[in-house]
Amino acid sequence: MVSKENCRNEIRAAIRQLSDRCLYSAAKWAGEQLVGIEQDPSNFTPSNTRFQRGSSSIRRRFSTNESISTPQPSVGFSQAATPLPEEDETIDGDLYLLAKSYFDCREYRRASHVLRDQKSKKSVFLRFYALYLAGEKRKEEEMIELEGPLGKSDAINRELVSLERDLSALRSTGAIDSFGLYLYGVVLKEKGNETLAIASLVESVNSYPWNWSAWSELQSLCTSIETLDRLNLNNHWMKDFFLGYAYQELRMHTESLAKYDYLQGIFSFSNYIQAQTAKAQYSLREFDQVEIMFEELLRNDPYRVEDMDLYSNVLYAKEACAALSYLAHKVFLTDKYRPESCCIIGNYYSLKGQHEKAVMYFRRALKLNKKYLSAWTLMGHEYVEMKNTPAAIDAYRRAVDINPSDYRAWYGLGQAYEMMGMPFYALHYFRKSIFFLPNDSRLWIAMAKCYQTEQLYMLEEAIKCYKRAVNCTDTEGIALNQLAKLHQKLGRNEEAAFYFEKDLERMDAEGLEGPNMFEALVFLATHFKNHKKFEEAEVYCTRLLDYSGPEKEKAKSLLRGIRMAQTGFPSMDLEHFPI
Amino acid sequence: MAGLTRTAGAFAVTPHKISVCILLQIYAPSAQMSLPFPFSSVSQHNRLGLYLLSLTKCCDDIYEPKLEELINQLRDVGEEMDAWLTDHLTNRFSSLASPDDLLNFFNDMRGILGSPDSGVVQDDQIILDPNSNLGMFFRRCILAFNLLSFEGVCHLFSSIEDYCKEAHSSSAQFDASNNDLESLTHYDQMDMEIYAIDKATEELELQKNVSGSVPFHLHTPEAIFKVIEGLRVSPKESSRTSKKITETTLVASASSSTVVDTLVDESLFLRTNLQIQGFLMEQADAIETHGSSSSFSSSSIESFLEQLPNLAPELHHVHFLRYLNKLHSDDYFAALDNLLRYFDYSAGTEGFDLVPPSADCSMYGRYEIALLCLGMMHFRFGHPNLALEVLTEAVRVSQQLSNDTCLAYTLAAMSNLLSEMGIASTSSVLGSSYSPVTSTASSLSVQQRVYILLKESLRRADSLKLRRLVASNHLAMAKFELMHVQRPLLSFGPKASMRHKTCPVSVCKEIRLGAHLISDFSSESSPMTVDGSLSSAWLKDLQKPWGPPVVSQDSGSRKSSTYFQLCDHSVSIPGSVSQLIGASYLLRATSWEFYGSAPMARMNTLVYATLFGDSSSSSDGELAYLKLIQHLALYKGHKDAFAALKIAEEKFLTVSKSKILLLKLQLLHERALHCGNLKLAQRMCNELGGLASTAMGVDMELKVEASLREARTLLAAKQYSQASNVAHYLFCTCHKFNLQIEKASVLLLLAEIHKKSGNSVLGLPYALASISFCQSFNLDLLRASATLTLAELWLGLGSNHAKRALDLLHGTFPMILGHGGLELRARAYIFEANCYLSDPNFSVSTDSDTVLDSLRQASDELEALEYHELAAEASYLMAMVYDKLGRVEEREEAAALFKKHIIALENPQDVEQNMA
Repeated sequence: MVSKENCRNEIRAAIRQLSDRCLYSAAKWAGEQLVGIEQDPSNFTPSNTRFQRGSSSIRRRFSTNESISTPQPSVGFSQAATPLPEEDETIDGDLYLLAKSYFDCREYRRASHVLRDQKSKKSVFLRFYALYLAGEKRKEEEMIELEGPLGKSDAINRELVSLERDLSALRSTGAIDSFGLYLYGVVLKEKGNETLAIASLVESVNSYPWNWSAWSELQSLCTSIETLDRLNLNNHWMKDFFLGYAYQELRMHTESLAKYDYLQGIFSFSNYIQAQTAKAQYSLREFDQVEIMFEELLRNDPYRVEDMDLYSNVLYAKEACAALSYLAHKVFLTDKYRPESCCIIGNYYSLKGQHEKAVMYFRRALKLNKKYLSAWTLMGHEYVEMKNTPAAIDAYRRAVDINPSDYRAWYGLGQAYEMMGMPFYALHYFRKSIFFLPNDSRLWIAMAKCYQTEQLYMLEEAIKCYKRAVNCTDTEGIALNQLAKLHQKLGRNEEAAFYFEKDLERMDAEGLEGPNMFEALVFLATHFKNHKKFEEAEVYCTRLLDYSGPEKEKAKSLLRGIRMAQTGFPSMDLEHFPI
Repeated sequence: MAGLTRTAGAFAVTPHKISVCILLQIYAPSAQMSLPFPFSSVSQHNRLGLYLLSLTKCCDDIYEPKLEELINQLRDVGEEMDAWLTDHLTNRFSSLASPDDLLNFFNDMRGILGSPDSGVVQDDQIILDPNSNLGMFFRRCILAFNLLSFEGVCHLFSSIEDYCKEAHSSSAQFDASNNDLESLTHYDQMDMEIYAIDKATEELELQKNVSGSVPFHLHTPEAIFKVIEGLRVSPKESSRTSKKITETTLVASASSSTVVDTLVDESLFLRTNLQIQGFLMEQADAIETHGSSSSFSSSSIESFLEQLPNLAPELHHVHFLRYLNKLHSDDYFAALDNLLRYFDYSAGTEGFDLVPPSADCSMYGRYEIALLCLGMMHFRFGHPNLALEVLTEAVRVSQQLSNDTCLAYTLAAMSNLLSEMGIASTSSVLGSSYSPVTSTASSLSVQQRVYILLKESLRRADSLKLRRLVASNHLAMAKFELMHVQRPLLSFGPKASMRHKTCPVSVCKEIRLGAHLISDFSSESSPMTVDGSLSSAWLKDLQKPWGPPVVSQDSGSRKSSTYFQLCDHSVSIPGSVSQLIGASYLLRATSWEFYGSAPMARMNTLVYATLFGDSSSSSDGELAYLKLIQHLALYKGHKDAFAALKIAEEKFLTVSKSKILLLKLQLLHERALHCGNLKLAQRMCNELGGLASTAMGVDMELKVEASLREARTLLAAKQYSQASNVAHYLFCTCHKFNLQIEKASVLLLLAEIHKKSGNSVLGLPYALASISFCQSFNLDLLRASATLTLAELWLGLGSNHAKRALDLLHGTFPMILGHGGLELRARAYIFEANCYLSDPNFSVSTDSDTVLDSLRQASDELEALEYHELAAEASYLMAMVYDKLGRVEEREEAAALFKKHIIALENPQDVEQNMA
């Protein structure tokens, strides 16, 4: 078990080091985790602890399998292997101090110029990093300047070439530190050299594990589980954060949840972990739980914008208009020019049925971040609502091209084509979507419906799909009913009866009633009567008698027929008997 | 959300254009004197003017020349003052040290434009007329510059720096070779006229519009694409418009071609929407033309296409091109992926931007085209059932959106698909299509369905004036009618020799209907734009997989039937159109082949081979070769045929689905039969049978042919009962699959078997039936040979029937001698001699020449054919006649010949060794 105190000391040092190198987002992340560690109550006043404990009752309710008591054996701890790097300069050079203040004022080129002759590792890194950021800034400007008739011109960071050259020279002489390796990895990734980038980043995180930015870059390069498994990473608690994140992106939600559960033992109050857990739960469609988690998150961290788009999705799914508008208002006041904020507002308008406005906000989100995946997909949904299928298809396709494993977008594409009356064409997209998420009954049902359309009428295939849906625990209960009906249509009464019975069981278990119930009962009663299984038939008939309407009459006549048959009369309908 | 909403055809200032402006300033300086400073003569001045004119004309090109290329060209144009020109140019550039200088530069430039209202101009005054070509260009440049934001000016400034830097980087090598260059240019000038003419003739094939009058030929806009095509392969070498300086460019190319490849550089030369679209269409054409032939590297184009989306993310046509490329390199998954991506992004509307947007389509997109393309793709990759499903959906969607054009194409594709899949494999497909069009015909046979689809497609295409489709439908119709004899049941019988549509005349009529429409292309160019670029892709796919063994045509020719008349316009004739015409010739040849007119068939094939052969696709050329070789085998004997086959093999062995092997087997079988090498013949038969059953399905016609040959082999082996068993079974198969023409030949074979087995009476009805079949299907040559067999059967009944047999023979002699092959003719001659000899009224001694002439003819022809059995018979008869006449010497000669042939017949191994 990792000692909390150790963690705390490590992170404290790391934050200082990261901030010295102007790696602010990594420092921010580390800071969040630092506060996330349960404080030693003796050191703090009760007010402090109360702030921290916030709503731990709720937390306890949902994290039933806290793994604090049973740490996973696989996660060893090897802090000794990665000692904190001692500060190489006890007294920072004057020029470094100047450069850092330039950097903080976002004058990157100036900062890098000031450091041009500095030799200390910290200064060298800051020089390169400032240069890189200067190039990035220029790149973004150029993108807008060079926007041609055929879309954005491919502006590139012009510093990459010289950066790569200098960093690889540094690396070959061994004068590179872990931060330099991180930057080198980033540069290599941008240049498209992924293998080397991975190697460089792995080296970086192995020698200095507290740089979350390096881990995130590494995650973005792990597009398959094979790549992830091949990584040769030292054991460290940061690795568990990384794995949790990577598993989540690879749609291995249960594995990811296990990691986060474990980490929560140490970082009991980490907002980050809570948000990630919520994300994973969201993917598992546990909406109620996710909603509560986000509520708590917002209570602790009311000005948080990150991940709030996910919360808005949950609220959307639960059709909680008021809560969604409250959230939208809040993020709007906090920072209206964040893609997440625009997305939340878009969601709100979508829920209100104002699709044009929703599209406008999704567009704004995409203007802020061209590669914002969920905005593309959500915009696609809006266009579908607006019956503008070509635009929807375009939006979905962009999402798919950004991330080919986005099953929602594939599904959207399939839906759009199905809407246009091209079910056969749509099938390909449904298949793609199912490939990435084979355990979702909704996708299987969509595909089955496609096969069922009158244009295709490939019922056998539809049956196969529905069977898969049933195996994936279809929560809406469409599949069983459809299976039964299809079998009935194809004249396979035995199978039909089997599925009707199953469907009946399901409805009984969930306490549902409705036309499906009547249909199942009527069919079963008739079926069993025809097969001379009068007892079963009677059971179903009597159940039918509980309801009013035409079914009741039907049941009565059926019962009469059964009596007749049982008393030895030829099994004939009584009505047709001229007496 | 196609990216076409933005302004297309924007005119951007580039470093190259600034160069041109600088030169313009030299050409027409604002100081008004008759001849500006550097020029020593008026002609020199005019020459620069012409050069500038051509430069401005090609300023819309996708790629612009680099500075050093410009300097190279100037060297030629400027003659002795080239150094001054170059210096001035480079100095002017180096004087541009800050964006402000650019601003001043364009302000200065404005001065050289004459004011539009200056009415009276002195004669020797040089003024750049603002409305002239040069003036317009100039004004456009100034305007474009004025529109630039400061950021834009900065970008222009930095690209000028790059432009100059590249020139400097290569100047080191350039200087080293400077001496050579000077001598070279000197040399060029001396021989300028000769050289220009040489080059012009060389280039005539490639660039029709080389204008001989301008020695420094520059590509005019029509030639732009040709140049670009070269550019892709090696951006340096072929963009050289001035061919004279190839040597100098090669020197420079080594240094800068590496630079060209970098992204930065290409983004610099990225041009307007329309230019790139045009370029891509050209590329698409290139992919289609070259197909999967090895000479065309698909990877080079792929790497190029991969870069384009980075530069122009809204240009979706690239995806279609990648699809085409992958399609031709047989990469199923990548092709599918790119096809779907293309249609997802463009909704099927991009690439059709030349089409006036019709209101109903633009709203919903044109996804039915996606279906059509997908169907074609599945078909090409050998998934006929999938393809049929997709096409059915395409029919439904196009009907829904009332896109008749697409519907017409889809129906054509479907009929092609159905006819291609053959008869054997369709049963599985029949149950699974639910299209409104096809379902009405669900009770019909596949052939009937194909016919209906074709008719429908033709009707729509006709009313929509889709000329290309009409033409290709006519062609398909002609082919269909040739293949499927439609026999009205009532009038069947030997008496009713009516005209079927298999008659070459009606086939030609059908074909001409198509060809006539095609020739309209030369005069009007609108249909091209109506059909759009994709249609050529469709047609190509429509055309591609034709090809049962008898009638198969694929074509890719670049010239037209009315070649000589049209060659001036050949640029404006789309490749697909000339393909169709080429195909029509092959089809004509086939129809004559059926009819039995060998000369006509040969003529049409030759027309094809000579006019279309040089540029036709390999599979087409192969087919023409095959036809000619078959002809050779029949009329010139096997030796020539095998020699020709060897050439063809070298040429076409790489072609996928090559028919060469098939032909080789057929020829070897024939030859083995003639030589009496029955074991070899049997082996060939088996191999043929093996070829008939591929993974794709059973090729019925090939299968029938294989068993026909088997029966003939058995017959040659004198295993009559087995042979007749095979033939009977074959007849049943033919009947089942409605193969009428094959039926006729099977009947003939049966008659033949009975004749050989000495059962003439049994043979007679078969022969008669065969004749009546031939008669009703207009198979004249087959009928002639059936008549010959009939006559032989009569003779077999006894010598008292010799007169009747002779009459029959004489009746059919014209046909046999006019169109028949060597074997048939020899047989006829021998039979004639036989008849005479067995006729009791005929006396050898008085009328020996009649018999001897025939026999001599026969043995000559059989010699070429190496047909030992018949040759032996001829020699034997000759020896007998000579014996009767008492001419001992000649008798011995004939006897020796007889012996030779008999020995050869009994020892076939020797022959086989020769053959190998």
